[in-house]
Amino acid sequence: MSTWQDLVTASLIGTERSAVPPAAVPGLPIPADAPADPAAILLDRAALLTVARRGGRLAERADPLPAAEPDPAAAVSPAAGRRLARMLSGEHPDLLAEWLTAAVARGRRAPAHLLPALLDRARRVSPTDPELRRLAALAGGSRARWLAGLNRDWAFVTTHTVPGDGAWRLGDGGQRRGYLTQLRSRDPDAARELIAASWDAAGPERVMFLSVLADGLSLADEPLLEAALDDRAAEVRGWAAYLLARLPGSALGQRMAGRALGCLRLARGISGTHLVASPPAECDAAMRRDGITPGQGAGRSQLASQPHLMLEVIARTPLDTWTREFGRSAEQILAVPAGGWPPVLFTGWSRAAMAQRDQEWMAGLINWAIAGGLPGHPSGAETLRQLVRRVDPAIGAPEATASRGAGPPPAVRDAITVLRFRYDMLKELDYGHSAG
Amino acid sequence: MAERWDRARVLALAPDAPSQRAAQSLASGRSWQLTGAAEPGALWGECRGSAATPYRTVVDLAGPVYQCSCPSRKFPCKHVLALMLLWAEGSVKDDAGHPPDWAGSWLTAPQGVRGGGQPPRDQGVPGDRLPGQARRAEQREARVAIGLAELDRWLCDQVRQGLAASQQAGYGRWDDIAARMIDAQAPGLAERLRALASVPHSGVGWDGRLLEEYALLRLLAVAYRQRDGLPPPLHATVRSRIGFSLRQADVVAGGEPIRDRWQVLARRDLEQDRIRTRRTWLQGRKTGRPALVLSFAPTGQALDDTLSVGTDADADLVFYPGAVPLRAVMATKHDTLDDGPPAGDTIAGLLASFAAALAEDPWLDSWPAVLDVSPVRTPVPAVSDTAGRALPLHPGTGDCWPLFAISGGRPVTVAGEWTPRGLWPLTAWDEGGRAVLL
Repeated sequence: MSTWQDLVTASLIGTERSAVPPAAVPGLPIPADAPADPAAILLDRAALLTVARRGGRLAERADPLPAAEPDPAAAVSPAAGRRLARMLSGEHPDLLAEWLTAAVARGRRAPAHLLPALLDRARRVSPTDPELRRLAALAGGSRARWLAGLNRDWAFVTTHTVPGDGAWRLGDGGQRRGYLTQLRSRDPDAARELIAASWDAAGPERVMFLSVLADGLSLADEPLLEAALDDRAAEVRGWAAYLLARLPGSALGQRMAGRALGCLRLARGISGTHLVASPPAECDAAMRRDGITPGQGAGRSQLASQPHLMLEVIARTPLDTWTREFGRSAEQILAVPAGGWPPVLFTGWSRAAMAQRDQEWMAGLINWAIAGGLPGHPSGAETLRQLVRRVDPAIGAPEATASRGAGPPPAVRDAITVLRFRYDMLKELDYGHSAG
Repeated sequence: MAERWDRARVLALAPDAPSQRAAQSLASGRSWQLTGAAEPGALWGECRGSAATPYRTVVDLAGPVYQCSCPSRKFPCKHVLALMLLWAEGSVKDDAGHPPDWAGSWLTAPQGVRGGGQPPRDQGVPGDRLPGQARRAEQREARVAIGLAELDRWLCDQVRQGLAASQQAGYGRWDDIAARMIDAQAPGLAERLRALASVPHSGVGWDGRLLEEYALLRLLAVAYRQRDGLPPPLHATVRSRIGFSLRQADVVAGGEPIRDRWQVLARRDLEQDRIRTRRTWLQGRKTGRPALVLSFAPTGQALDDTLSVGTDADADLVFYPGAVPLRAVMATKHDTLDDGPPAGDTIAGLLASFAAALAEDPWLDSWPAVLDVSPVRTPVPAVSDTAGRALPLHPGTGDCWPLFAISGGRPVTVAGEWTPRGLWPLTAWDEGGRAVLL
């Protein structure tokens, strides 16, 4: 090897100032017809040694890594894996959490070769979505933990998969959230009691507490949430009002229903049935306590804020208020003419349907929008965008794809694409999965 | 002075009709700043073009052999044709005295190097050549010979002055010599030279890597000079490394098809000069032969996807001639079949097969590898087999986390390219026996 290094050194200095070192390969004679130019001699010797070194290269030695523990979970179907790869390379990245949640719920794990990209994604987006780290760690299983041992960038995997008591008492915000989330899914009452016991001492963490309560919400949570409506922090009050509006049978829901029925009624005239709107005149203290904000236009113009107030009320009103009071199904109510009010009604009912996870209303609203009812207002397109990401695609997709006409507006086209994507995505994850 | 040609004879040299028209309009004479002719049959001229400096055109009527500094890929270019047209109509002054230095040095290059050699012998090219083709091929050989002589001088100059200066040199140093190899119609050399510009900044060991490349380039120049004494397969290898290309149709027509179940092991896509290249590695299940199929597409267009990694192609392959025939063209594809992962070799087996191939083709710098290995960190990423032998991954592959993830610390079948700088892992077969592109 030193022979080669001698040649390299001589070539660096140059044959003008350095002699050409000899080069011999065992078993090979030095060619007789060597050129006269020292530079050419050096290059010829270097060529001989280059090929000899490449051909005679020996392997190095290395000990293998400790192997990962076997994973009891089965991998997802190849089609589901291919879709995950597409999502990781930029297609519908906002649906990644849904893919992971569905895979974890079915006891399946992500394909091993996609884990590095998945863990990188979870690490990058974590400030806006800490939940994605937890889901990626769960879907990655033992192989993800093994990888985390090799690459410190992915250390979050181990903190998210084993949240013991220590994670609650000593962990950072993400670990405490992970612990509480696990506890809530295992034992909702225990999680609520832990939150209630920690409430007074907690400051900004109260927002995290309430966001964890969103899963498995029940009337048992109502007293805690009602008390939080009087919290000093606006964000806490907003979360409490949002959760209470989602909670079937809550007192807040009943108060909203009372306001809503004063805003919107069904009128039967000679020209047929139509909806008549009379928005609230002002945002009183009781409305504010229930989470309604006066809106941006309130200071300047009373009129501008009235539709806003109506929207806020409808968005928090239990949807069965309408079906019961009007004696019609969601689809029938949506078909009733409403003058200039559809933009407000569409957004208000959509928000209510999403918060209350009411599949019938969501499907009805999507079909109504796709069939041409979508208001031209930009907020209508955004609302539709959210609806198609939350509706059960098995309910929303078949009709939506059936009504694919010539040249629908972009928002509608996108909505159909997302529904189709989610429908296929969940079907692939079900493939080969027995319900038990 | 040589016997004067008529216009038709000059225009017959043109590669196509647009070149004829361009040459005739250029021969109006206003673009030419300087023209001259001298015994025994030399023409030269400077022609103003779109560039800041005029193009320099020189012709030796004895071949005729010609050279022009313009960037045109047409051969001969319109400047050569226009200069010859000017001379044909008597507008070039005979007895102009000594040619300028730039023309003189080309005109006085050794006679043996300039077109006096044997007629070209393209292996695998069947049939009779048309007279025009034969003349062009002869001119090409002459230009390549001149180019390689120049390259050899340049390489020796580098080593004489010392490679230490290379770290301060800009890309221009290699771009200039590469451009001259393009002029000499040796695109294979040009590509190799352009790739060298990054070597001085490639980290520890750059000096050794640069010396290796210079040494192998000189070996190519020496081999081409002595081409008549080479065995035909090695001669074919030398020609293909220089950049003499064979048309696929000629390879298919002149070679013997080999039918096998070719396992599609791996592929690697490269992009250079707005051309995408897909290198697809195959291995015959019956013959055990490795094969490399290349396909090309302009940047932004899809590459051929008929050979899908992880499948078997029941196909007839015809190999390009060479000392180690690797490159092949698929003449007929009979069927696509699905089968499990290929049988992996040991690291000792790979090194032995590469050494044997290198003994036939010293320029060989990528060799197909199929190994049963697990990835390790030593501290650079590497792969190791159950015998504890290890080979580093190519530094360009980065950490190659997907390979680690598939393995989980256990051996997996990996296919890739073995190079002097390490292994490019390209495909790994997961626990379900599915091929994953890395």
